Amino acid sequence: MVKTNQVEQMTVTIPSDLKYLGAVDAAVQDLARELLFSQDAINDLGTALIEACSNAIEHGNKFSPDKRVTVSLRFHEGRLTAAVKDEGRGFDFEKAMSEEPDPDPTSERGRGILIMRAFTDGLNFSYDGGLICELTKLRDGSASAE
Amino acid sequence: MKITQREKQGAVILDLNGKLTGGPDADVFRKLFEGLIEQGKKQIVVNLEKVSWINSTGLGILIHNYSSVRSAGGDLVVMGASERIESILYVTKLNLLFKSFENEEDAVKSFGQVSH
Repeated sequence: MVKTNQVEQMTVTIPSDLKYLGAVDAAVQDLARELLFSQDAINDLGTALIEACSNAIEHGNKFSPDKRVTVSLRFHEGRLTAAVKDEGRGFDFEKAMSEEPDPDPTSERGRGILIMRAFTDGLNFSYDGGLICELTKLRDGSASAE
Repeated sequence: MKITQREKQGAVILDLNGKLTGGPDADVFRKLFEGLIEQGKKQIVVNLEKVSWINSTGLGILIHNYSSVRSAGGDLVVMGASERIESILYVTKLNLLFKSFENEEDAVKSFGQVSH
C-alpha cells in the first residue's frame, strides 16, 4: 500500500540514442504500475515520455554520443512527474506552447507538443543548462495539474 | 526498425518491426518507399502490428510517405495498429488522413483490386 505522503523518486540517464527509449519506457511503466496507476494512464504517460525523450535525443542533443538525457521521476500525493533534461540549447518553448497546431493534416512536423499535452495532465518547459520538459500524470486524473 | 516486404493481390505490404521513431531507420523506410513508387507500386499497406511505439518524427515519416504515394496516384493505408498507436493517430487527427484496418484482408481489399 502506498502512503499518501510518501515520495518516490528515481532517475534514469541514457545516451543520446533512440534505442534506449525502451529502457525508459520499461522503467516508468514498472514504477507507475507499483504506484497503482491504471494501465491506460501508464500507456499515456509512456507515450508522452517517449515523445519527450525522443525530442531530447534528436533536437536537444542532436544524437551526440557525448551528451546524455536524464529522466527524473517523482511521485507524491497521487502525482507522477517526469522531468526530461537534455544538454542542448533549448528552443522558444513559450512560443511553441502558445501556437495553434498546424491545421494542415499533411504537415510533417509540429505534433510533439500536441502529443505530450494530450496524454498528460500537465506539460511545462524550463531551461537550466539544458532543456527540461516536465510531464505530469495524476493517478486518478480528477484534478488539473496546471 | 526492421522492414520486410511482400505482395498480396497487387498491394505491397510493408511489415514493420520495432519502433517508428526517426533516426537512421527512418531514412531506410523513406528510401524504401521512394523505390516502391519508382517501380510503380502504388497500393501500399503499412503493417503496424509489431510496431511498439511511434513518435512525432515517425508520424512525419508516415505522412511524408503517404503524401508521396498519393502524389503518384496511389494510396497508403495502415493496419494492425495497437490501441496505443490508434490513440496517437486519433489525438493528432491522423485517423482522418490514413485509413486504418484491423486485418490484412480488409486493408488489401480497400484498394478495390481483384486477384487473379
